[in-house]
Amino acid sequence: MTSAATTAYLASVPDSSGAARGRRRDFGPWPWILPAGIGILFIFGYSVVDLLQQSFKYRGDWVGFDNFQLVVTDPLFQTAIFHNALLLFTVPILVALALLFAILLFETRRGMRFYRSAVFLPYLLPIPVVGVVFGQLLQLNGALNAGLKSLGLQSFALDWLGDPNQALVTMSAIIIWKEVGFGTILILARLISLPTELLEAAQIDGAGFFKKHLKITIPQLRSVILFYAINEAIVMVSWVFNYVYVMTNGQGGPGNATMVSELYIYRSAFQNQAPELAAAAAVLLLISTLFFIVGFFKVQSRAQSGIFDE
Amino acid sequence: MKRRGIAGAIICASAILISSLTSTGAIAASKAAFPTGPVKLVMWWWGEQEAPGAKIWLADTIKAYKVKHPNVTIQTVLQTTDGLIPAFAAAAAAKKGPDLQYFWGGIYAQQPGWDGQIAAVSDYIPAQELAHYINANTEEAFQGKIWTAPWYVNPSFPVVARKDVFSKYGLTVPTTWSALLKSCDVLSAKGVTTLAGGIKDGWFGGWLYSMIGSQSVTSSKDVISAVLGTQKFTDPIHAAWWTRLQETQKHHCWNADINSLELYQAQQLWVSGKAAMTVVAGPDTPNFVAKVGASKVVVMPMPKWGTGPFAGKLGTTSQTIGITKWSKYPQVAADFLMFSHERAQLDNWFAKTGSMPADDRFNIAGVADPVKKALFTKVLSGGPYLENFIPAQLDTDAVFANAQLVLKGTRTGAQAAANMQSVMERLRKTDRNLLKNFTAWAK
Repeated sequence: MTSAATTAYLASVPDSSGAARGRRRDFGPWPWILPAGIGILFIFGYSVVDLLQQSFKYRGDWVGFDNFQLVVTDPLFQTAIFHNALLLFTVPILVALALLFAILLFETRRGMRFYRSAVFLPYLLPIPVVGVVFGQLLQLNGALNAGLKSLGLQSFALDWLGDPNQALVTMSAIIIWKEVGFGTILILARLISLPTELLEAAQIDGAGFFKKHLKITIPQLRSVILFYAINEAIVMVSWVFNYVYVMTNGQGGPGNATMVSELYIYRSAFQNQAPELAAAAAVLLLISTLFFIVGFFKVQSRAQSGIFDE
Repeated sequence: MKRRGIAGAIICASAILISSLTSTGAIAASKAAFPTGPVKLVMWWWGEQEAPGAKIWLADTIKAYKVKHPNVTIQTVLQTTDGLIPAFAAAAAAKKGPDLQYFWGGIYAQQPGWDGQIAAVSDYIPAQELAHYINANTEEAFQGKIWTAPWYVNPSFPVVARKDVFSKYGLTVPTTWSALLKSCDVLSAKGVTTLAGGIKDGWFGGWLYSMIGSQSVTSSKDVISAVLGTQKFTDPIHAAWWTRLQETQKHHCWNADINSLELYQAQQLWVSGKAAMTVVAGPDTPNFVAKVGASKVVVMPMPKWGTGPFAGKLGTTSQTIGITKWSKYPQVAADFLMFSHERAQLDNWFAKTGSMPADDRFNIAGVADPVKKALFTKVLSGGPYLENFIPAQLDTDAVFANAQLVLKGTRTGAQAAANMQSVMERLRKTDRNLLKNFTAWAK
């Protein structure tokens, strides 16, 4: 280390005596974040405070936790939350499929660009378009069942969205179809950026397809997989409204078979004229979403060697 | 990092979840002289779906009004069926939106009045004028006021039956419940649908409730009593219709895909001859009859099963227009509503839509078409349209949902009635003004 460099280094070391504190202030990243932060706080912070206030009031009067009690004990809300929880089971399926597709695309020599576009395309389609198309396609006498019947597969021709025992599963499958492209591209991008030496060495040592990816590729994709899983968990908890609304005409039917918490909030606020109950339900949803978002930030901070730092 | 993570999480979660939930309030309407300066009114409406031609009539009427009052401009926005109520709820929350708003009758017009979102039209339209508006006093009245002005009558709801389809299988059009179920047995065995319907969007559940359920009640007061808790939705007069509905499912009366079709989609099965009967919107009935040919069609109420005063009768309701509380020109809005009830506009409504304007000054005797004439005459002595006398949330949460399940065969009639009762009991707790408002309405 040169003398000048040493001086510079020493200058950057915090003065433990505290004498330097008054002379030089380091605000870190805050001056850069502040303008945007103020904007976000103004737009969303105000709304959150207003939402919280509404959740404790009825027509302007303070009612304590009454609204929360009414919402939590509402069988329809319980059903909605249960369905959101069931939708969380699609997350491991999504992750597994995205991983599989990403690895297959990675291994594909010819036509990778075409396959990549094909996998990613559903993610680009607007949800209302997807909802309307699948709503038609999956009618009992729709195109899918007509195709199945023509192949002699009558027993597989179900009332996909009209049967209350089937509707949520169908909805999940559509969400998986739509969302898997995002994960595939995300994982593939990380996969391409990985150093190839380890994979080549494993190949020379005779590792097969499964062993190579199981032991070498997947451990290196941990951070991006976690990011995708948390992102999709947030989707399942608080971003499935569009699918349900479009495919069930805002009913969450048949019966309450596809009722989810967002639809419950929407209906409370705009159909049932109960904004205070909607606010209480939204606060509960906010808290449950926070749980996942905190997890997301933790993953992000730990991803030292992950996609975020590269 | 932990603190930053949580702060970031709060911001992100807010971005995801914040909807425009704002508090509601009322703006006092002011009565003033008819303005002479430029006036712009916005009207949100629905109805072209059930009364094709309404759009042309509205354009004609606005044009004619512009001739009378050149300073008044009226802009119209056609709403979707699913969006009609939520769009207005959002507008009301923001106290911004239309000056004139379309409402279905009964509870759909009462609730915005109770919530202070609309001004009573009776504050601006003289009583002697309102007395001519059909169903204003039966559905729109509340504590001496009339909330909204009926626009056109909705006979609710006619069953249209194809004589040609029935006769092809050696049957006649069923007018009783037992005959209907027998027809269902015969036709389903031949692979023909007896009744075509679509309930995916839920609305048809409300229609069926009113058509089948009205046969056992003695008046709309029975329904309000069940809402208030002095009667129960599990009492035979309120619950029996669910059993009748279940019977139609058991006898394979409906198209198998009823749960995956929307209301208006399913009616096309009848037009194409794949179904013997269907239920259509009252104002649209003449159009459906014309598509098949009047000689082949019978227009009738739901086959009779009950012994109540409304068994074998059509229901009657009027679709209405209200004036919003935040409108700057309520007196102009009211003047336009009265203008729309002038003779020339009433006749033009009939000419453009073939349906009946909600005004007893309309000359039914002058209607040449026998189908329309019969329909209009029946509707003047029609029964209450039950769906309009229950809370809208009970309709969606209990009637729509249970009708879907009963017609799918996954819930019995008794279970559906019990569920409806439990939803109602819960609603009395969650809607803290419900008892007060319904009690006042019942008077």
